[in-house]
Amino acid sequence: MSGAGITAGEDRLAGAHVGGSAAKARRRWSLRPDERRSLGFILPFLAIEIILVAVPLGIGLYYSFFRVDYFELTQFRGLGNYVRVLTSPMVLASFATTAVFSAFALIFTLTVGMGLALHLERDTKWSVAVRAVALVPYVISMLVGSLLLRWIFSKDAGVMGVMLGPIGLGDIAILADPKTAMAALIFNAIWRDSAFAMIVLLAGLKSIPPQLYAAARVDGAGALYRLWRITLPLMRLSILIAVVRLLIHFVNVLTFALILTGGGPNGATQTTGLALYRLGFIDFRLGEANALAVVVFLFNLVLVACNLLLFRERRRSP
Amino acid sequence: MIPAVRPMRPWQARRLARRGIDGIINLAIAAFALAPILWGLSTSLKPTEDILIYPPELIPSRPTLDHYRLLVETGIHGPILNSVIVSIGAVLLSLGVGSIAAYAVARLPFRGKNVLLFLVVALMSIPLPSLIVPTFTFLANIHLTDSLLGLVLLYSAYQIPFVLWILYSYFLSLPVELENAALIDGYSRFQTLRKVVLPLSGPGLVASGLFVVTFAWNDFVVAVAMISSGEIKTLPVAIYGYLGFYGRDWGPLTAAAIISIVPVIAVFIFFQRYFLTGMTSGGSKS
Repeated sequence: MSGAGITAGEDRLAGAHVGGSAAKARRRWSLRPDERRSLGFILPFLAIEIILVAVPLGIGLYYSFFRVDYFELTQFRGLGNYVRVLTSPMVLASFATTAVFSAFALIFTLTVGMGLALHLERDTKWSVAVRAVALVPYVISMLVGSLLLRWIFSKDAGVMGVMLGPIGLGDIAILADPKTAMAALIFNAIWRDSAFAMIVLLAGLKSIPPQLYAAARVDGAGALYRLWRITLPLMRLSILIAVVRLLIHFVNVLTFALILTGGGPNGATQTTGLALYRLGFIDFRLGEANALAVVVFLFNLVLVACNLLLFRERRRSP
Repeated sequence: MIPAVRPMRPWQARRLARRGIDGIINLAIAAFALAPILWGLSTSLKPTEDILIYPPELIPSRPTLDHYRLLVETGIHGPILNSVIVSIGAVLLSLGVGSIAAYAVARLPFRGKNVLLFLVVALMSIPLPSLIVPTFTFLANIHLTDSLLGLVLLYSAYQIPFVLWILYSYFLSLPVELENAALIDGYSRFQTLRKVVLPLSGPGLVASGLFVVTFAWNDFVVAVAMISSGEIKTLPVAIYGYLGFYGRDWGPLTAAAIISIVPVIAVFIFFQRYFLTGMTSGGSKS
């Protein structure tokens, strides 16, 4: 029971671990009366999570080893579904697309979010109001956000024609060209998630003691030097938290691609999330879809583990 | 006598310039964030013939509510009602289950508390798109697809970790003496929670409740995977259906989009500071 105890309750527990090792083992698995009552309080929570998160994952894993026709498990395939999925050109292309999308979306979202955080750092009336406005794209539904962007980017709206006309690109159909469609997808991420990055980064920015800046200023450090040598190093943890949380979101993105581009043109913006959706809900190949879901989930576990490590780190540092 | 205009001091000029630049940047941020929404609002108010005019009108010259009327006539209230039902159900279940568990984590002794908290954070960070295929497989097996109850259960499962986390932090900030007094007076732990702790936890309940409501109202990824029949569709799934049905007819599409976001923006403006509590709490549901 060493390490950071979370509540007073745990300190009380520390006394329970005395006696021989057999008795200890027995005590570890048998519940004391007060623990039995505590368990009653957390049981509904555990039951819901086990039934609706853990069991589906288990069933998905089971299905991933079979050929599935309309929910009938028709043939045991072993790792066959995995081989099929991981050698399918569509899936491999979606991995590449997701990597490109995630990398660019992460860089831009983080940069814009940092800019927003630095600009809106002080709690003035205006800053608070502008922060709220910047958060609007994040709080509305992803579906509606992507739908509205799809309308703006469509040729019919004429918005792009007016804006890009002066530089001779008035005739461009953004969502019909693979490169610009990908740019639009990345724009969707920047538009929606920059303010989220801003909120995470603001927490780190505000924890930097202002005396440090004052001291640096006295020593003659310029604004850029202060940003590079004080602000960014001291925000390391917040930046990492933002990176991991944004990555978890970007790597799995489905709605942006499904609504904004539909994965097109020609699969150029088909992310893995969308490929998974296609496989499961349009092609109804539940065996392969579950195999891909397991692969994606294992990858996510790595990111979730990173998130947990950072989370522990943040709790340690006040 | 006209008072003499004092020449501006250099620092005053610099401050004024700085404020001007800050103002311009603020305006640019607001424009970037709101332009797509305002443009959608403008389109939704234009008669169909005016929508495709080039160059486009920023402000409709002949505003009309025709597209909204069309949506009402074709029964958008059905999906809206479904979304309301699912949101209310998810809030009640999440707050009920979440507050009881949060109280146990905050106040009651049991081993493995750290493990439980890690589990909560892990659950908060699992991305939903990776869960929908196995979850659909499971729900289809127990015949809970195409049902509002199924959605309520799923939304609760995904949001209870957030509720637990927010309320756990909130309960820790309450003075334990009040509870001790109640316990000495013969209240059980559960009565203490219900009659002493929860009445004091308004802000925590509002923060976590808002989080659940906006999630349930906004969710598209889970609903589109689990729901296929028309009567059960929630609003986002219905809007996705419109996208296929109306195609390039953007009047009704933008009108539906505006209908979906107006309640969210209203709630967000009223309860802004509560939203931030949930956002900084460690997960990344979308």
